[in-house]
Amino acid sequence: MEITSQADGLVTIVRISGRIDFATSESLEQVVCAIIAGGRPRVILDMRGVEYISSAGLRAILIAARKAKSAGGGIAIFGLQPGVDEVFTTSGFGKVVPLVPSDAAARQILNA
Amino acid sequence: MINLTLADEIVVLALDDSSGEIKPTTLPVANIAAVGGILMELALRGHIDTDLKSLFIVNPAPTGDDLLDPILSEIAAEAERHPSAWWIDELSGRHHDLVERILQRLVKAGILRQEERQFLWVFSRRAYPQVSGREEREAKARLMAVLFKDEVPDPRDTLLLGLANSTGVLSKILTEDELEKASRRIAEVEALEEIGRSVRSVSTQVWYALSIARVSRPD
Repeated sequence: MEITSQADGLVTIVRISGRIDFATSESLEQVVCAIIAGGRPRVILDMRGVEYISSAGLRAILIAARKAKSAGGGIAIFGLQPGVDEVFTTSGFGKVVPLVPSDAAARQILNA
Repeated sequence: MINLTLADEIVVLALDDSSGEIKPTTLPVANIAAVGGILMELALRGHIDTDLKSLFIVNPAPTGDDLLDPILSEIAAEAERHPSAWWIDELSGRHHDLVERILQRLVKAGILRQEERQFLWVFSRRAYPQVSGREEREAKARLMAVLFKDEVPDPRDTLLLGLANSTGVLSKILTEDELEKASRRIAEVEALEEIGRSVRSVSTQVWYALSIARVSRPD
């Protein structure tokens, strides 16, 4: 898994590629939580490059989203590939963390 | 002193406060919930992981918990991968005594007391009243927070909620009015975790089989 982040106005865009599984979910959680703890609680996860996510990966995003919300911000996700989208749809994850079609929609939902 | 696993917590929640026994409404699925709680705990502690197709080992090293480690070893020894629902069904069939073992370890940890209670003057039954009730109160408070606070739920509490709903425990904790108000949130949170969905699906099969048996029983 590769992660890069870029601050852009009020939001921070985190671009993820590869597999989010048990081996990599902790790094993802640490990176996003560090961004939030650094005073930037509005985070967009660009997941266009993610090809697989396990339950440990979903849990890492849930923990980060919980921190973002309690810090007054939130997380929005876009760019799910079909296999990953199936995981998010089956779990109803979008009812807890917004899944949106684009970067622009993510900014809108985060009021940024 | 033990670190309570989700399996311990669901057993504490499933105990009837007055009788000190597992609530009759939960009994048919109590063992399934215990297995589910163990698998969830192994997932939270980073020993297993799941996806839509299967449950698999990510760290076979023992956890040091005598409730979790035998199950972890059994999963590690299986050559083929299976979905988590398969494991819940399989392990609850292999280990009929899980709830009793959990009750015993909770007694050992000083959370429950073991009593022999007499009924109809000649029969006796084992009851497990809570010592302080603190563990049950804390678990209930976490469940109430998941349901009624506008927060993204914590994964551990999400899993506990799934167990509590699958076993019918939730309907004993909440009033009818609270249950109705929370019904949408319960469904949303319960679906989040794959093992929670599998516990739900296996429990539903048991409830369904029992309802068929009741309907077809001659008067």
